[in-house]
Amino acid sequence: MIPSDAHAVAGIGALASVGSTTDEIFESLCAGRSGLAPMRGFDPDCFGAGHLYEIDDRPATGDVPLRATAFLLDAVAQALADAGLGDNLGGIPVLVGSGLRELRSVELRHRGAAFDAAQLHFGTALRRRFGATMTHTVSNACSASLYALAMGTDLLDAGAADTVVVAGVDSITESMFANADRLQSVPPDTVRPFDRDRRGTILGEGAAAVVLRRGTAPDAARHGAVRGVAVNCDAQHATAPDRVSIAAAMRDAYHRAAVTPSDIDLVMLHGTGTHANDEAEAGALAEVFGPQMSRPLMTAMKSMTGHTSGASGLHSLITALQSFRRRRVPPTLGLDHPIEQAAGFRFVRGAAAPSAARLAQINAFGFGGINAVAIVEAP
Amino acid sequence: MQAVMTAVGLALPGAGAPAELLLPAPPEAPPVDPAALIGKKGLRYQDRATQLALCAADDALRHAGLLTGPAEAPPRGTVDGAPRRNVLTVPAESVAVVASSNLGNLDTVQEVVQVVARTGSSRLTSPIVTPRLSSNVVASETAIRFTCRGPNLMLCNGPASGLDAVFWAMTLLAAGRAEHVLVVGVEPATTAAGELLGEDRVIDAAVALVLERPERALARGATVLARLGRYLRSGDPRSCVAALSGRSPAAGAGPVAPERVTVAAWTGPEGHHAADGLLPGVLRYAPAEGRGTASGALGVLQCATAAGHFGAGGQGPFLAVAGSAADDATAGLLLHRPDGR
Repeated sequence: MIPSDAHAVAGIGALASVGSTTDEIFESLCAGRSGLAPMRGFDPDCFGAGHLYEIDDRPATGDVPLRATAFLLDAVAQALADAGLGDNLGGIPVLVGSGLRELRSVELRHRGAAFDAAQLHFGTALRRRFGATMTHTVSNACSASLYALAMGTDLLDAGAADTVVVAGVDSITESMFANADRLQSVPPDTVRPFDRDRRGTILGEGAAAVVLRRGTAPDAARHGAVRGVAVNCDAQHATAPDRVSIAAAMRDAYHRAAVTPSDIDLVMLHGTGTHANDEAEAGALAEVFGPQMSRPLMTAMKSMTGHTSGASGLHSLITALQSFRRRRVPPTLGLDHPIEQAAGFRFVRGAAAPSAARLAQINAFGFGGINAVAIVEAP
Repeated sequence: MQAVMTAVGLALPGAGAPAELLLPAPPEAPPVDPAALIGKKGLRYQDRATQLALCAADDALRHAGLLTGPAEAPPRGTVDGAPRRNVLTVPAESVAVVASSNLGNLDTVQEVVQVVARTGSSRLTSPIVTPRLSSNVVASETAIRFTCRGPNLMLCNGPASGLDAVFWAMTLLAAGRAEHVLVVGVEPATTAAGELLGEDRVIDAAVALVLERPERALARGATVLARLGRYLRSGDPRSCVAALSGRSPAAGAGPVAPERVTVAAWTGPEGHHAADGLLPGVLRYAPAEGRGTASGALGVLQCATAAGHFGAGGQGPFLAVAGSAADDATAGLLLHRPDGR
């Protein structure tokens, strides 16, 4: 384990069901507005569940391919504009984390939509739009964008690049939704992270992007800086998370960022609202924070965006950066009775909480036991 | 960013060792039978891509001396006295997995939506396939079987994905995130994969490598098969080759290598005429030719071919190039002989 250098976040961009820019999303989250709505992309007669956290961009004629690609290009363009970079990336690396890539387009192709193999990964569209050739699609399930962030910081640490764009994106696939629907005998009414009455997760969609610059020059780091990102793998079970391994990822993140749990002011929880995730995540946090457990504010934004899969880690990270600047932290909806494992946690509930947070921890865990934990600091 | 290759693992029709990759593919080679290679235990609910990847990974880890215990013995920790299956000889946290596949889980995705379309309900979809709907199933199942607790990456990056996976393995080593990286490239010959590619034949194979830092390989007495050199991605094969070899590029084709490198052998991208006119007169291998489209497995297969070339006494450097001018980009990687010559 080598402590990482800190790297400036020079630009941010995002879209989700609750907003089409980073500011819109943050305002929605602070106002407690949920993006849950009757599903638009799939035939409701086929499924027990009727609601998803979708982006409402489809034409009246029905679903279309390449929505994830469009989300990604939008988020990257926002982040580049925010960083004052032009639209020509050339050799600047673009690392894209995505759980489901363009698999929704593969599904639509079987119903006659035009789509070819070159569009399955995002480099093709990134080259066409931004001239980028150093592009990488990392399909690391629900921790994909934080895994991509770790890879981006490694490139900066090694001096292999001065600027890196890191992004996350997902649109909902019918196959993943159908399988979740099959497993949820009673469809959840909403996502209730860490609540005793939680019934599982509900998928969302969207994209998020950040422009990272090597070092922490004040003009570049106006959003803050990434202090360190830890990644590991449970190597235990395909879907059940492992508390011990998650705790190890957290400790590794503190080490890389040269901080201790008592320095953390805010934890952006993975908080999917599934029984297994929330228990394992709460257990790991209780273990690493110990007596400091009640110090940091904690919140789980999936209660309003749904589970944005590969994008979710960066969605949380950008929300943390916004919380630094706006000095408030969005609440977790639907969290009325915290689970036993989270007793004593300082959840933000009901309304946004005022905050002077300067150091935040972001959690993202994925299928296959792949864990990522990032530490970011205020400018 | 220094790294060496210490093992190759193959689950490939008609080739049992890297040296065989230097020869034309034997016609009519039977498909890989995973159960015959590593036993049927643990394979039942895995997709074809994962099964192939596990075979290649098992082969590579054993060749690297990183894995002991028979493939078919009881799983770890269940039976006292019996030899345990798949025991790493190094700390589990020190082993990372980087997998590459573009088409790996398309069959499962297609199966599930077909069931919904046919039955008008999600009720008849199988919960067993849940993990397979996420594209990282190859990387995570490989980690689970061999208990690799280091970073776990799934590259789904198009025609150059295999070489990109090798680059990220080198990056993980340089960053100190792992001591040993298992790289696996795989593409299955599923109906869904063939349909999307519009080709009647996908390679239906997996290739694995073990990469380590040179000093770590030396310290544990591992055999070095190749040293890994410069990697880059650029707009097309011509500029990529020019930038890595210093051979005179077409006007405006991109940067030229700072030092001229005389490439002794090479292997190029898939696709008709994708590499015409590049490196004329230089010994060229085509390990995927006659075997089917290798896609995300290609770059890993190319590196295994370099190991075969060096093992047979071939000269270096060896240049691997994946991704044609029609693709999103071209990746290139130089590999050098273990003795540096």
